[in-house]
Amino acid sequence: MAVFPSTAAAQAADRRRSRAAERGSTPSPRPRRRSQRSAYLFIAPIALGFLVFYIWPLLETFWFSFTSFGVFGGNTWVGGENYEGVVRDVTVGQALGNTVLYMLMGLVTLPVAIVLADLMNRRGLRGVPVYRALYFLPFVTMPAAVGLVWNWLYNGDFGMINEALSWFGVDGRYWVSDPSTAVYAIGAVMVWSHVGYYLIIFTAGIKAIPRDYYEAAEIDGAGPVRRFFRITLPLLSPSIFFATVICVINSLQQFDLIFVMMSPENPALGETQSIVTLFFKWAFQENAQGAAAALAFLLMLLIAALTYLQFRFQKRWVHYA
Amino acid sequence: MRRRSLLTGALAAPFAAAAATGCSSKGGSSRTSGGRTTISYGMWDTLQVAGTEKIIKAFEAEHPGISVQIQLTPFPSYWTTLKTAMRGGSAPDVFWMNAVNLQMYAEGGALRPLDPFIERDGFDMAVHPEELLRMYSYKGTRFAMPKDFDTIGLWYNKELFDKAGIKYPDDSWTWDTVRDAAAELTDPRAGVHGIAAEMSRQYTYYNTIAQAGGYVIRDGRSGFADERTIEGLRFWTDLIDKGHSPSQSAMTDTRGRQLYLSEKVAMNYDLSAMASQMYAAPAIKDHGGVAVLPEGRRRGTVIHGLASAISSKSEHPEAAWKFAKFMGSRKAALIQASEGVTISSYAGTQDAWVKSMPEFGLGVFIDMLDYAVPYPASRRTTVWENLQPQLLGGPFTGKGGIESASRTLARQMDLALEQEK
Amino acid sequence: MPEPAATQRRTRVDGGALATHAVLVAGALFMVFPFVWQALTAFKTMPESVQVPPTFLPNEWHWDAFSQVFTAVPFMEMLTNSFLNTLGRTLGQLVFCSLAAYAFARMQFRGKNVLFAVFLSVLMVPAQLLILPQHEIVQKLGLLNSIPALFLPGMFSAFGTFLLRQFFMALPRELEEAARIDGAGPFRIFWSVMLPLVRPALAALAVITAMWSWNDLLWPLVVNTDPATMPISAGLTSLEGQFMTNYPVLMAGSLIGSLPMIVLYLLLQRHFVQGIALSGSKG
Repeated sequence: MAVFPSTAAAQAADRRRSRAAERGSTPSPRPRRRSQRSAYLFIAPIALGFLVFYIWPLLETFWFSFTSFGVFGGNTWVGGENYEGVVRDVTVGQALGNTVLYMLMGLVTLPVAIVLADLMNRRGLRGVPVYRALYFLPFVTMPAAVGLVWNWLYNGDFGMINEALSWFGVDGRYWVSDPSTAVYAIGAVMVWSHVGYYLIIFTAGIKAIPRDYYEAAEIDGAGPVRRFFRITLPLLSPSIFFATVICVINSLQQFDLIFVMMSPENPALGETQSIVTLFFKWAFQENAQGAAAALAFLLMLLIAALTYLQFRFQKRWVHYA
Repeated sequence: MRRRSLLTGALAAPFAAAAATGCSSKGGSSRTSGGRTTISYGMWDTLQVAGTEKIIKAFEAEHPGISVQIQLTPFPSYWTTLKTAMRGGSAPDVFWMNAVNLQMYAEGGALRPLDPFIERDGFDMAVHPEELLRMYSYKGTRFAMPKDFDTIGLWYNKELFDKAGIKYPDDSWTWDTVRDAAAELTDPRAGVHGIAAEMSRQYTYYNTIAQAGGYVIRDGRSGFADERTIEGLRFWTDLIDKGHSPSQSAMTDTRGRQLYLSEKVAMNYDLSAMASQMYAAPAIKDHGGVAVLPEGRRRGTVIHGLASAISSKSEHPEAAWKFAKFMGSRKAALIQASEGVTISSYAGTQDAWVKSMPEFGLGVFIDMLDYAVPYPASRRTTVWENLQPQLLGGPFTGKGGIESASRTLARQMDLALEQEK
Repeated sequence: MPEPAATQRRTRVDGGALATHAVLVAGALFMVFPFVWQALTAFKTMPESVQVPPTFLPNEWHWDAFSQVFTAVPFMEMLTNSFLNTLGRTLGQLVFCSLAAYAFARMQFRGKNVLFAVFLSVLMVPAQLLILPQHEIVQKLGLLNSIPALFLPGMFSAFGTFLLRQFFMALPRELEEAARIDGAGPFRIFWSVMLPLVRPALAALAVITAMWSWNDLLWPLVVNTDPATMPISAGLTSLEGQFMTNYPVLMAGSLIGSLPMIVLYLLLQRHFVQGIALSGSKG
């Protein structure tokens, strides 16, 4: 726990020191004005950027969602018609189901990455930089190449995966064109391509845990498993919380992989469509930007609700210093 | 509106300086400098860049005051980018247009009508195929200058035909001949199918729908409930059901064209524009061939072509027209044809293309012009095009009957067409 | 087994290391294989690359694709653009995000929670949603087809702010307090005490941002239509034809295009895996 300077000592000190100490006595119900001002100054640059490039466009798009969107300009107000249309559309329900499925599959990445980060943090383990670099490769591979390579691996007649399965006498499938497997095939690639990314976050998080704690635990005779659960997990919890929030948001916005892996003629297209691919189809292919914007705002509502819940419940398991 | 310009103005200041010093920056897409007008030409096909550059050179020699810059946007993002740029007013002055999008762009006022220019200059549009001219007109106004066309032909593999002891396809072939040959050519042990019955609008079923006497869209109504249309679709699903073609699941993973190039299917309906790619594959160059599409109740092939349209927001409409006109001229057509990538639409200029790949006998693609049907489109073509794979995917993978799927498609397509109005 | 305790302990440790290696190697193979496939495809001819059944090793090793990349697109220019784009976004995020993150994590001010919620809401917007209005703004700024157009919106990141906030919050308070008693102002404390402590997080953010900027696709395609101002990720898509793609060239291009990021990762890796030992930090 942090050691707070006693107020009495601060009062006895000179002017400069006392100011510093007052600021230090957080959390106080009424923060001082100067501290407030510098906080706003810290936030101002990014807030300005957000305002221009995100908040304003967002408000503009919010307005779009109540209009019938002229493809080449000129919008007419239609009230809640777009939202009604979205709620009534059956493809939205399916896309929502798929999107939730992507989220659940995306979350699988986290335990995998935590365990890998922990394994790579083992003392005296050789070749760790090499492992880190290799696990990172999927993350640097260009999206177009990812789709292409995985479609080859998944190819029903000539793919490596079915080839390997046939060695064990298992009959493969048309993984990405079979409506019952396509969504999982994409999910697997999602995990594959994001493990390296969460690995970075968790590695940085684990490395921020002071070595002293591990040494103390080791002296107490705690084995690697015990150390993992007693030290790594609790002290990594701010990173885990962050990664979970990000992972939920990212996988609910799943788009790129579906876009590069699923051709328009794929019979399983409907079964793999996410809210954002549906948004893209409406907005940029079928020129229904108004309805598409409405759809996106409903997705944001869902994301906001889930994020709120996570923040609400973080106190139960996230340990800040 | 005012607030936004204040905000953006404040932010622009530091970057305006950066832009002025070095960082290349252009507000719009066209500009005039030193008495020379620069216009931009938007296109998507890398293969055609070399040919287009030659055409531009010829154009600039004739019009010293104008220079043309190519803006290449890959096809997957071409329309997204164009639409965004259109809304912002930064679209190219002249750009490639296709049948799917023409009516939407014309209706939205994004294109400059060509009629005043055509009439003023007395340009004879009849040098281009009539189907293309109709494709690029909207409500009686011409909106784009055709440059090339594609028809569909029956590509076949002579070696596989020889092995099965079957005569090569020619203009005497009918649907029945195809069905019989596909059965004979299918050899499961060699992993060879007789034909690729791929679920593709332009390559396969739009052609057979026309040959059966059906239609895709007429007077704003869907044709998918029509008996003849369904007959045209069933031609393909039957081939899949009988095992003479891989199913659509297999062909999602490995396209029909890929199977043909790898000699895994003996016959494939494919585009004329693919000739140069076929020619690059040694096996197909050696023993590939192409014939006119076999006859159903009648003859038919889908014709589509690209055209140059002028942006209504272009600041240099006169220069843009001059270039669009040049793209549709005999001179440009000859240069284009000699590149061997695509068939020029200007009458009598196709020889160079046919001769550039003598082994194939590409003349059949031009012979088919007599009975070609235009690629169907409406104002929101993509909406009902997107419905097709969703609803026809089942029958093309051996699940569910084609008739009920097609009727469902007709109902949903009619709903979509209703919303266009 | 009646063995001395010391030996038993040793074998168990070695066994553990061995098992760890086994798991990591198996995983690594899985991670690397698609990359290897990409590399092998780059050495094939165009017909061989689409042939079925596919060949694993190229029939003949062709280097042509690697040289063709440089003629098919203005590759060096695009690499430079990618580099500038990545630099702009990464520097921007490091500066803007760390400032804001520190304020959110360590300072008290009115409206903090509401502001943070607004920041987070930016994170929840699918990028595709804002393309149209953002394009319009960049155009109003007269920046279409310029390098700043590539990186401007990406310099401001809710993700980066959130990431760094988590790390700032995890730091013990002692050092900050000590500096405060020494009379350091908020910026001094931020700059010379707290920022060095989150160096691993800064390095991690730099790597992640760099990677995203490097591979970003949709935004560059929309704002920069002139190949001379396109980054490599967008430039490579021009190799994707409407009907057929030259896979070997595309693969070769994306392979060369990934190299700078791999190098960057190897360089930065040291920093974000460098643990901080509190006792040793200079403050």
